[in-house]
Amino acid sequence: MSDRGAGPSTAAVPIPRPQRYDFDAIVVGAGPAGSAAALELARAGRSVALLERGPFPGSKNVYGGVVYGRVLDGLIPGWQQEMPVQRWVTRRQTMVLSGARSLTVDFRNENWGRAPHNGATTHRAEFDPWLAEHAQRAGAVLVPSTVVVALLRTADGAVHGVRTDRPDGDLTARVVLACDGVNSFLAKQAGLLGGDQASHTTLGVKETLALPRGVIDERFGVTGSGGVDVEMLGCTGKVPGGGFLYTNAESVSIGLVLGLRGLARAKVRPEHLLAELKRHPSIAPLVRGGELVEYSAHLIPEGGYRTMPPLIADGLLLAGDAAGMCLAAGIWLEGVNFALGSGMCAGRAAATALATGDTSAAGLAGYRSALRSSFVLADHERLRDAPGLVLSERMQQRYPGLLCDFAESVFAVDNPRPKPGFRALLRRAAKRNGVRMRDLAKDALTGLRTFG
Amino acid sequence: MFVVVALRWVDERAEVDPLSGRVRTSDRSAGASAADAAALELGLRLAGSTGGRCAAVSLAPAGADELLRGALASGTDEVLRVEPAGEPDPRAADSGAGTAVALAAAVRERFGAPDLVLTGDHSPDRGTGATPALLAAEFGCAQALGLVSLDTEPAADGRLRALRRLDRGRRERLAVPLPAVCSVEAAGVRPRTAALPAVLAARSAEVPVVAARAAPDPPPLTAAHGYRPRAKELPAPAGADPLRRLRELTGAGQRSDPPRVVVTDDPAEAADELLAFLRAEGYLDG
Ligand SMILES: Cc1cc2nc3c(=O)[nH]c(=O)nc-3n(C[C@H](O)[C@H](O)[C@H](O)COP(=O)(O)OP(=O)(O)OC[C@H]3O[C@@H](n4cnc5c(N)ncnc54)[C@H](O)[C@@H]3O)c2cc1C
Repeated sequence: MSDRGAGPSTAAVPIPRPQRYDFDAIVVGAGPAGSAAALELARAGRSVALLERGPFPGSKNVYGGVVYGRVLDGLIPGWQQEMPVQRWVTRRQTMVLSGARSLTVDFRNENWGRAPHNGATTHRAEFDPWLAEHAQRAGAVLVPSTVVVALLRTADGAVHGVRTDRPDGDLTARVVLACDGVNSFLAKQAGLLGGDQASHTTLGVKETLALPRGVIDERFGVTGSGGVDVEMLGCTGKVPGGGFLYTNAESVSIGLVLGLRGLARAKVRPEHLLAELKRHPSIAPLVRGGELVEYSAHLIPEGGYRTMPPLIADGLLLAGDAAGMCLAAGIWLEGVNFALGSGMCAGRAAATALATGDTSAAGLAGYRSALRSSFVLADHERLRDAPGLVLSERMQQRYPGLLCDFAESVFAVDNPRPKPGFRALLRRAAKRNGVRMRDLAKDALTGLRTFG
Repeated sequence: MFVVVALRWVDERAEVDPLSGRVRTSDRSAGASAADAAALELGLRLAGSTGGRCAAVSLAPAGADELLRGALASGTDEVLRVEPAGEPDPRAADSGAGTAVALAAAVRERFGAPDLVLTGDHSPDRGTGATPALLAAEFGCAQALGLVSLDTEPAADGRLRALRRLDRGRRERLAVPLPAVCSVEAAGVRPRTAALPAVLAARSAEVPVVAARAAPDPPPLTAAHGYRPRAKELPAPAGADPLRRLRELTGAGQRSDPPRVVVTDDPAEAADELLAFLRAEGYLDG
């Protein structure tokens, strides 16, 4: 019987090179990245174990609530008909809050309520099992309630399996795919995830508030299966971050994303900030009367491209949040689609490497090129400056006030004084919020370069 | 010693519809309660210490196969699923009598008479804790219910030593003669983690299924109504104005968002929604 650790150990376990393997591949974590990878491997005819620490996939996972599912076209044709959807997102808003004021960009597209669809709200406790079931049907062996505590490595550093917290819990395979989420112990053990993780990790906190379907329809101006996705800036006090509000069939999810360092410095509790957001005059009427049915919290890797670890080692691939592939940049909070995309690429690359018999880092290199030619790395590379920009002091502390001041002066009617021009109003708003026009222009240019 | 552990397949995270009161459960989050898991652990230890056998049984639909595979992975020698005979009347109180009849018959037929039947003290869904007692009646053996501890090696006289919780923090020591039915609390027992090879092997294990023998017909149910708790006494509202006091008492005029059936303004659609709800609730049957 092998040693049983209470939690993940810090060091990999040295083993001699196995004579025979239990599986061709082991995927750690049955989140979207892991299940997508396992599905691809099983489809390629490979024996694959999908290890999950929760009693069922999705039981431990927290996210805001929206999945942009088009990436599934290449994985599960016809997914729109079978995915467990709460509501299709037909309305997207970006809201900037300052004090008791708010400015919202509101986009509505009823076409998003029909195929091919844009985004959907879905519960992870339903979405993740649905995806894992596809992997199982294709032949992957799902092993729930099992924590992977260490990598098994040979003297040359190559990964040949994992140790789990179960008795006799060692499992060998030619390749291991670490899809174990943001705080990937496997990536750490492999020496791939170093550096100052805390400074580019945020804490996401979320409340699910039950509301009758009709009330949600009325308040958010949607009907049938239509739903709303609201991203917010300026709602986190002195802590860098943002907020979100999504509609489910009979509940809404409201939450905050808070920079860890800023949160520690500000010495506030996340639930207090969330309570404040719920009291905001623009948000309170939307969530009024909602019965709190769930409070949850989870870390988010927010560093983007610049802080991504190396994705490949001998016998090991990283995908999804374990590889820092979450895109959190103000008007975007996406991770599931990147996890799916990277999981697919990882599964395919591992299957190819297994077919050629070379699962060394060189043999697995197809993974990086596949990611580069897909949206996963292309988007991250293009938006590599977005995290810095969005979490910058000006963007967080000054621009929300500036925008609200500007909107207020544009919309206020204070006759008999003559209306000043937009430029004068902008200058006034900038001055009032301590922003130099030079910095505003510079940030606008960076923004254009980053997002343009 | 031959030990049978009866496991109830329950979803401890069930949701209750605020409008209809209907309970929604999910196969995914269903499993054994902590007390049932403790019963299984004690069963395995007792069988192990006496060189005997341990079997796990459950009266449950096919979703419970995973639960029984988990029991196999943990070391039970055999499992058996008893397929329930039809849907129970949701309005009727569940005394556990039907469960006891079905389980006892299936166990006797498949395994013969057990030396010991172990269960959790009561099931988290509608459980009264009566099923173990009714099982003891079915098997015609001794019973010791609500145990906080049970020695996993029989004493020299062949009896089991157990401890039972009494009111006011008192404890009762019992010497339980066999055969017996014992129900246990979850406290103090840490269920084992199944070994990985056993988990992998159990994944493809066939779970034998037998149909439940129908319980004797319960008395016909002519009417049933929901549980009505006793009225709560509240202090009289303050204020001189009777109308204000009445409003405060009844909550009239306060803004609230009660659960609703009809969510549309269109009268025809509203009628359809209402009819669909009444039909789904069974009010328009027949
Ligand atoms: C508050 C919040 C809001 C978010 N909102 C959104 C959103 O609206 N839309 C969106 O697309 N993304 C959102 N994200 C990001 C998204 O949740 C992640 O990017 C995505 O879940 C990553 O998928 P993954 O498969 O890489 O990792 P995860 O979903 O984290 O899955 C990892 C899995 O690995 C398992 N695991 C971990 N360690 C081990 C181990 N040692 N052994 C076995 N199993 C293990 C876990 O139990 C888990 O199932 C949000 C995140 C947070 C925290």
